[in-house]
Amino acid sequence: MSRLNREIAKLSAAEIVQHIAQGNFSATECTQHFLDSIDHANTRLNALITVAGEQALESAAAIDQLVRSKKKLGPLAGLPIAIKDGICTAGLRTSAGSRMLQSFVPPYDATIVKRLKDAGAIVIGKTNMDEFAMGSSTENSCAGPTLNPWSTEFVPGGSSGGSAACVAADLAPTAIGSDTGGSIRQPAAFCGVTGLKPTYGRVSRYGLIAFGSSLDHIGPLTRSAADAALILTTIAGHDSQDSTSAMVDSSDYSTALDESIKDLKIGVCREHFGAGLNPEIDIAIQEAIRVLADRGAQIVETSLPQTEFAIPAYYVIACCEASSNLARFDGVRYTHREPGDDLEQMYCQTRAAGFGAEVKRRIMLGTFALSSGYYEAYYLRASKVRRIIKQDYDVALECCDLILGPTTPTAAFRLGKHTQDPLEMYLADIYTVSANLAGVPAISVPCGFSRAGLPIGMQLQGRAFAESTLLRVAHQYQQQTDWHLRRPDF
Amino acid sequence: MNQTTFDRSAIKFQDVTTVIGLEVHVQLQTHTKLFCGCATTFGGQPNTQTCPICCGLPGTLPVLNERALQLAIKTGLALNCEIARHTKWDRKNYFYPDLPKGYQISQFDQPICGAGYLDISDSKAAFPARRIRLERAHLEEDAGKSLHDESPQGGRSKIDLNRAGTPLLEIVTKPDFRSAAEAKAFLVELKLILGYLRVSDCNMQEGSLRCDANVNLHVACGEEKIATPIVEIKNLNSFRAAERAIEFEAERQFQVWQKNGATINDAPKQTRGWDDSIQATVLQREKEESADYRYFPDPDLIAYHTSDVEIESIRGQVGQLPAELRALLTTTHQLKPYDADVIVGQGRGVVEFFLEMAAGCGNSRTAANWVGQEVLRYLNETNTTIEQYPVTVAEFVELLALISAGQMDQTRGKSVLNEMTESKSGLASAIQKLGFVAVGTEEMRHLAEQLIAENPDLAQQIRDGNAKAIGALIGKARKLNPNANPGVLKTEIQDLLS
Amino acid sequence: MSDSIDRETAMQVARLARIHLSDDAATECQQQLSQILAYIGKLNEVQLPDNVLPFFGATESVNAVRADLLVNSFPREVMLKNSPDTDGEFYRVPPVFK
Repeated sequence: MSRLNREIAKLSAAEIVQHIAQGNFSATECTQHFLDSIDHANTRLNALITVAGEQALESAAAIDQLVRSKKKLGPLAGLPIAIKDGICTAGLRTSAGSRMLQSFVPPYDATIVKRLKDAGAIVIGKTNMDEFAMGSSTENSCAGPTLNPWSTEFVPGGSSGGSAACVAADLAPTAIGSDTGGSIRQPAAFCGVTGLKPTYGRVSRYGLIAFGSSLDHIGPLTRSAADAALILTTIAGHDSQDSTSAMVDSSDYSTALDESIKDLKIGVCREHFGAGLNPEIDIAIQEAIRVLADRGAQIVETSLPQTEFAIPAYYVIACCEASSNLARFDGVRYTHREPGDDLEQMYCQTRAAGFGAEVKRRIMLGTFALSSGYYEAYYLRASKVRRIIKQDYDVALECCDLILGPTTPTAAFRLGKHTQDPLEMYLADIYTVSANLAGVPAISVPCGFSRAGLPIGMQLQGRAFAESTLLRVAHQYQQQTDWHLRRPDF
Repeated sequence: MNQTTFDRSAIKFQDVTTVIGLEVHVQLQTHTKLFCGCATTFGGQPNTQTCPICCGLPGTLPVLNERALQLAIKTGLALNCEIARHTKWDRKNYFYPDLPKGYQISQFDQPICGAGYLDISDSKAAFPARRIRLERAHLEEDAGKSLHDESPQGGRSKIDLNRAGTPLLEIVTKPDFRSAAEAKAFLVELKLILGYLRVSDCNMQEGSLRCDANVNLHVACGEEKIATPIVEIKNLNSFRAAERAIEFEAERQFQVWQKNGATINDAPKQTRGWDDSIQATVLQREKEESADYRYFPDPDLIAYHTSDVEIESIRGQVGQLPAELRALLTTTHQLKPYDADVIVGQGRGVVEFFLEMAAGCGNSRTAANWVGQEVLRYLNETNTTIEQYPVTVAEFVELLALISAGQMDQTRGKSVLNEMTESKSGLASAIQKLGFVAVGTEEMRHLAEQLIAENPDLAQQIRDGNAKAIGALIGKARKLNPNANPGVLKTEIQDLLS
Repeated sequence: MSDSIDRETAMQVARLARIHLSDDAATECQQQLSQILAYIGKLNEVQLPDNVLPFFGATESVNAVRADLLVNSFPREVMLKNSPDTDGEFYRVPPVFK
């Protein structure tokens, strides 16, 4: 590793942008550094499904041209970013980890991709994921599993496992993921990076291949809360192409990071510390609480009483929406097609061969739950439970500014451990799904390591559109700790 | 099978009641599709009016076309519907290759327009005036077009998605019709109203107005009341087809019932298509599995709340509707119902033309006669609209004034009008061209002098400012010279007398 | 709420979802779905307040519309490019009935 490479690996996203703007190194050198890392590590980690080497170097050259001619640079000029493969990139294959879309090249950019490119960011590749974001381990991908850079016998979490592994292993300084039930935060926790799921509506979903539309969120996975703030500033804001996009002003999330957290009330939710929580995680979280209390935060106890119903409600809603969202994969306009003598046969064979087992299971569950005679018992009931879960948050967040707890009940599990038991896998999302049901923002930050040397994540959840509060607390925590700076010896 | 205790053969077709409900799909006249900015124009090259959104590419999202919603509300107001304060969008899930997303965005339980009604009558009193209740009217997106290979080998079908996503308003009636004639009258009146509202071009050939009919029979047998299985007839692409199909279906159901006595409880709803070439309804091939559309709220779209201000503003754009205008024409204007119906049936433009003419010439019946005979004949023959009619109301009124002033008889008047429409010329030049003004300036002056000399009393009245006197004087010129241009003569007389 | 489904129902759901199920797969699918449904049956334990309204979307804002303004359509060759079967003008599919 050259001196420059060692240097870049230690830099924050903001520092990379600054160095490029000042000409300390070029966007091309920076991009090449990450492409080299990918070359070196991706065969083993399988974090990226598609590497956009040529396009990335072209974009980098364009940024360097701007630097040389002293033109105005975008806020992310030259910053490499890896995009989850479930987010559409014009001219760059977007498979969502599915055989169904193995050769799909979108003719358009997702809104966030357009915004990132407009800001000067360089799309370096597409990250591996559980097929259609259905999974918590990145094992359900047609491209094979991604491995955890901290220990390759373990999963990186999912479904944005490729994005988390990329940032952890220095294959990209920043990445974008999507989170339907914890798919940014859980892999962030498993890989020791920072992962933010913003408020529903804060970031446009236009171009995100839908899993559960009312639960899907796009957000950054980064080395620090400060980097997450930098990326969020670019991707947040109303989008007229997404009807569910909020008409709420977004701001520069980097400016208030250093404001004091003194007197902020942090609620510790008792339901997050019950049976099932691994003691190692409990200890790490208690230590994190102490750190924040030392910084002047007021620690209070709080409760989200319906937590135990979040997962069943989530699975009903997500699968119902998915069964409909995935109906478009029919072998007609895009995607893989299996031969069939007649239309029905073509449909049934295409969908049987194009979708993986977990995706089929969820489509079947959703189809059943929406079918005649079952709608009230499943979808409608789950949506009512969703209402009371949201009300839990309304009540809890009246008495505190944010809610602190573990991101996951355990650290990363071994590859193959839960693949035979879908229910076990679902339980990995126990602390994260509620925020998706309620639509509130949540962030996972590294807060320790297990005895096996695997990262542990702390989750902070906040009021709708209060991302700045989450980022501020996460940043202050990261000013006191160095968990987020540790890198796997990979 | 329901064993009836009575003798079916004793029941005659005249004794059964035909019960009909209609579902009408109206393509709304927007520039763009319901959820994306692609054009809705008909007849484009296949698959040239599409984008990632209407083709359902992964990741794309719908955004509601405001205009489509406004047109739906406007239609609802004209059909006396309750306009929903809260309306939302639902997905109707089914697989078909011309349905790109595998679901249709529609409205399930909160349609934009709730219950309403439409009154129908027949100006020739073929059936008594009736109020047809409307169940609802909701917005939805259209599917694309499938072109099936009809050859025996059954080759691949072709899919054109230009139409996919075009806004439709589905209007659903209660089963209130008792005859095919009533159903046809409803469709005619509905189409007329939609034209008045300018919400749809209602071109049935291009599929802008499509109709399905649900038909069954009610048989009263003493105490017992029996209903036959309901049949939905699809593909009714003309008023004539709708009428014929319903008539055919009623008779067919009667014959089937006579044979097997099957009632509504014995058979599920059947779908039949109207085949114009054989003038019969034909059973449509369907999969055994019954449809299960798995409706649920579309999470990609948010609810729409209408406000009083918005509804009232749209109400202000509805304008007078056919029923109201028929009443105006038969009361204020004293027209016969049939004549009023003919004029109103031509659309708002003709009615306005008539009303202006009636006001201009001061005689509604005269105006009605000329519009009903001459104007409509011209529009029919030339296949044009009133907006393209070459004669302005002002000129028309002037022509009628000449006729009523006795300066021209009806026959000459019609010749002049024909000349005006054919050569697209003004009144004066038409008259001139027909040789009605072959009177020179010199001659005209002599004529004027002669008239004044022979009619000193009228001349004095004109000098005193009596406007009518000049007409009387001009009228006298007819005997002296039938070709004298009354306008020119009038000027001459005024010159001489001023 | 039914906490399990039989094999026939599993087959029917697969038909509705247009997913071919082999005989073996149908049995496995039925078992897995039943297991998941049993877990989801937990929702029956929730004491729902009377008249609680369902929360369908994570946002309850209203009235997102766009003006009726034309946007350029995509070129046909771009739209047809990802399709497995076209003739350059149309998408093609196997016949509906054979």
